[in-house]
Amino acid sequence: MRRKVLSSIAAAATVLAVAPLSNAQDKVIRVGVLMPISGPASYFGVQGKQGIDLALEQINKAGGVNGYRIQVQYEDSACSPLQATNTVKRVLEQLKPHIVVGEECSDASLAIAPILEQAKVPMLNAGSATLKLTESGYKYVFRIFPTADQQNQVLAKYTAETMNAKTAVLLYEKTNAGVDNADTFEKVFKAAGGKVLARIDYGRDVNDFTPIATRIASLGKVDILPTFGLEGQTVRLAQALAQAKILRGGGGNAVQVGSIWLPWGFEKKAGQASEGYVRIVQFDPTEKRKIVQDFNTAFRAKYGADETPTHINAHAYDTILLVAEAVRRGATDTETMRDRLSKMKDVEVTTGKVTFDAKGQNEDLSVIHIVETLKDLSWKTLR
Amino acid sequence: MASAPLRPADRASLLQVPRQWPAYLVALVAIALLPYVLSTPYWRGILVVCAMNVMLALSLNLILGYTGQLNLGQSGFFAIGAYVTTVLVKSYSWNFWAAALIAVICAGLVGLLLAAFAVRLRGHYLGIASLGFAVIAYQILLNWESVTEGVRGIYGIMPPSPIRIPGLPEITFSNPVALFWLVGGIAFVVYVVVANLLRSPVGETLRAIREDEVSAASLGINPARWKAFAFGIGSAIAGLAGCFYPGFVGTLVPDAFGIVESFTMMAMVIVGGMGTMIGPVIGAIVLTCLPELLRDFGELRLMVYGLALTLVVLFMPGGMVQAGQMLRARFSRASSGASR
Amino acid sequence: MSDTLSLILQQSINGVYLGCLYVMVALGLTLIYGVMNQINFAHADFVTVGAFTAFFVVTRFATKVLGLPDTVAYLMSIVLALASGALMGLLINATVFGPLRERGDELRPLIATIGVSVLLENGQLALFGPIPYQFDSPFGKETIRIGKIFFTQQSVLVVVCAALAIGALYWFMKFTTTGKALRAVSQDRETAGLMGINQGFLIGLTIVIASALAGAAGALIGPVLVLTPFAGASVVVKAFAIVIIGGFGNMEGTILAGILVGIIEAFTVQYLGSGVIDLVVFVLLLLMLVVKPTGLIAERREENV
Repeated sequence: MRRKVLSSIAAAATVLAVAPLSNAQDKVIRVGVLMPISGPASYFGVQGKQGIDLALEQINKAGGVNGYRIQVQYEDSACSPLQATNTVKRVLEQLKPHIVVGEECSDASLAIAPILEQAKVPMLNAGSATLKLTESGYKYVFRIFPTADQQNQVLAKYTAETMNAKTAVLLYEKTNAGVDNADTFEKVFKAAGGKVLARIDYGRDVNDFTPIATRIASLGKVDILPTFGLEGQTVRLAQALAQAKILRGGGGNAVQVGSIWLPWGFEKKAGQASEGYVRIVQFDPTEKRKIVQDFNTAFRAKYGADETPTHINAHAYDTILLVAEAVRRGATDTETMRDRLSKMKDVEVTTGKVTFDAKGQNEDLSVIHIVETLKDLSWKTLR
Repeated sequence: MASAPLRPADRASLLQVPRQWPAYLVALVAIALLPYVLSTPYWRGILVVCAMNVMLALSLNLILGYTGQLNLGQSGFFAIGAYVTTVLVKSYSWNFWAAALIAVICAGLVGLLLAAFAVRLRGHYLGIASLGFAVIAYQILLNWESVTEGVRGIYGIMPPSPIRIPGLPEITFSNPVALFWLVGGIAFVVYVVVANLLRSPVGETLRAIREDEVSAASLGINPARWKAFAFGIGSAIAGLAGCFYPGFVGTLVPDAFGIVESFTMMAMVIVGGMGTMIGPVIGAIVLTCLPELLRDFGELRLMVYGLALTLVVLFMPGGMVQAGQMLRARFSRASSGASR
Repeated sequence: MSDTLSLILQQSINGVYLGCLYVMVALGLTLIYGVMNQINFAHADFVTVGAFTAFFVVTRFATKVLGLPDTVAYLMSIVLALASGALMGLLINATVFGPLRERGDELRPLIATIGVSVLLENGQLALFGPIPYQFDSPFGKETIRIGKIFFTQQSVLVVVCAALAIGALYWFMKFTTTGKALRAVSQDRETAGLMGINQGFLIGLTIVIASALAGAAGALIGPVLVLTPFAGASVVVKAFAIVIIGGFGNMEGTILAGILVGIIEAFTVQYLGSGVIDLVVFVLLLLMLVVKPTGLIAERREENV
């Protein structure tokens, strides 16, 4: 009798000892990440990776979510539809992911959406502004990045109504996102009674903006200069505009308004030229919410005490937060992952709150923060 | 040395069964079987890209390797093939095959136009003029938004439309295997036709122009006409490759057709072995697959690629064909036990 | 001064400034082509290397380590950037152009330089990352205003440096023995060789000078550029166009073409829109090739039969 009890206890103990081990092998959530890691667009990829790595570190160190570890495989899609198509197939084969995060550039995102839709793997996008991504009827595509429409509805209305701007000169980079933003801003601004004096586009290889600034100076009274471009060029543009005495920071009267591509360090780089800049940021590091402050602290601890996270860092971080939240709510495969994501309401992340509408777009506008640069180059949150 | 028009005997030789037909048979079998050896969607996709690049390399080799003209604008013809086909199909509801035919003809005609420049220019002037053509083509794609959609891009492009031959089941190309057979098969046909062409007196004429244009002229050859011929054929083939690109990727943006692409094509020709037939094929396959195989290197991938390219060019001027010949020579020396 | 007149004057000044920047980049290209019929596709990356060198000298070394004031630091960085360019030139001559020269091959060095360009770009990417560095020249802070016209000390500095570089080159080519030998080599290699001129050394020297120019150009345009490893690529294509428009291998032509392109660019922005700059420049290029392929200032070259 005793031997039987002992042996059954031994058997039970063995089973209990072995069981967690075999489960631990299985309890992994696999995330494929498509980012531009090479080429000029690696500007996005490098920052995205920082955000994702930080989130992974925090989650896995805390033991994972519901016992699940999160594993990430990065692929270089270089912002190109061809490479994105190739790498998404590669990641689907090699990793068999539960979800794919990507891409940054609209062209590449639009290229991989149909492939992921067909493979029934959810796609979480945190970087593309094009409307088409969530207007094409995909059931597996989710996006937490506000569309050009959403952003410019808010911004254009603000400039026309609160700032009383009457005339504008649109400045935008010659890319999908730049054109989209310029178009939607113009539409809303005109509907609110404003007048667009000129639309000036520029390629990504323009360095000296003095000719453009000179041209704007010759256009007469300009109230606002909606600018849709990346950090590097916008700094040069702001400096040129200040030199031409167009901007308030240079002795003029106009004020730049703009998109969400300008991170925290912009003021330091552009100097006084950035005074008065009113812009949408998706991530406001000065927000008092605990999740934001914790993120800042963790980011600085990992990447350097004088680094402030940008919205690209924050977006990428948020994607992993959302994946973790979905797992917490019971997602264990691609179907349940998709289901949990689609049901998310008011989930708080560093950029704001997330509620996915029926098309997979985050409809919560709390992710759109408007800030103004004051004379001392600090931020004042307007909304 | 042959003079200008193709004699009936030469024309027939374009299509005759060449002596190397066993090798061709092997190649055909390989094309048929490859999608089953490399059977994942990822690798099947890479195979399609390989086939397109083989066509591009062959087309450039005709102009560069066999006629000796520095052409940096091949990406422009590739773009013409892609955009003309897509715009006709999407905006005007043409049948894919009709659109592709028009696209190829367009590419060929523009090639002839560029050749009008080529006639007057030599060496590097031609190179930069062709570079200028590539830049202008890119700029037109970017700015002519009413037709090309510019940076916004064209989306939802379908693969080539199915072929219906009465009595047979419909042949569709929506799966990667069939698409590869189509593009690979066309690349094979291009190879055979060009190889036959170059073996004929036409080929000798072109080679004569490559070696020494002035002497060739003194022998009664009209270099201008033959240069134009080579450009026309080369650009048409590049356009042909371009027809299949948008259907494969599904989206079409101007960024895919810049000068970097022209340089990559040239690298394929040179790394493979310029002025040979099999060289560009090898070069295209290697330079398509190498960056993919290096993906596990992550950030170092392109650095390795650049280094490899530089080293091959510096130390193996005849490309991989020459390396192959050297290896073969060494083996035969070793096996025959011959002394120095 | 009427509005339109001051506008035209302003854009002209912008154009000349831009043009001088382009000339600094293009001059090296034309030198190399003139003396050895070769194109160095890595030239633009030498400019980037020069710009990064200048950046690190100014921000890390000269001010922090040596404690020099901003302006001196910047001038010092131009010199060091020049040196870095010269070093790159030395390296590429030793590894690419030198060994391939004997083979008399026109194309292979070109492709090799493409490979070097890819290597340099991605090497710098691995070292510096893709996020733009903020390189501001201390001379760019103050804006000089005369009526409605404005420019900065930096623009003046650029024009002065360009003039100095051109002047130094001229003096070198016309009045020194080495310079004359160089001209001999660029006009007729074979005969020059027969006359006992050491071609290898001279060609190497030219590459070093040209690359040094590129490095210095990097330091001068660094404050204008968006400084990433891809910065050089943004100017190289236009530099090629300038070299052709001006006439391959022809210094005067390149200078004229460079300034011309700068001015055309400024006025295109004013009246047509900046998105079409490249289109305009290259259509001009093709026109030149149709009308006058040898360039603005034709050089008498005999084609050896």
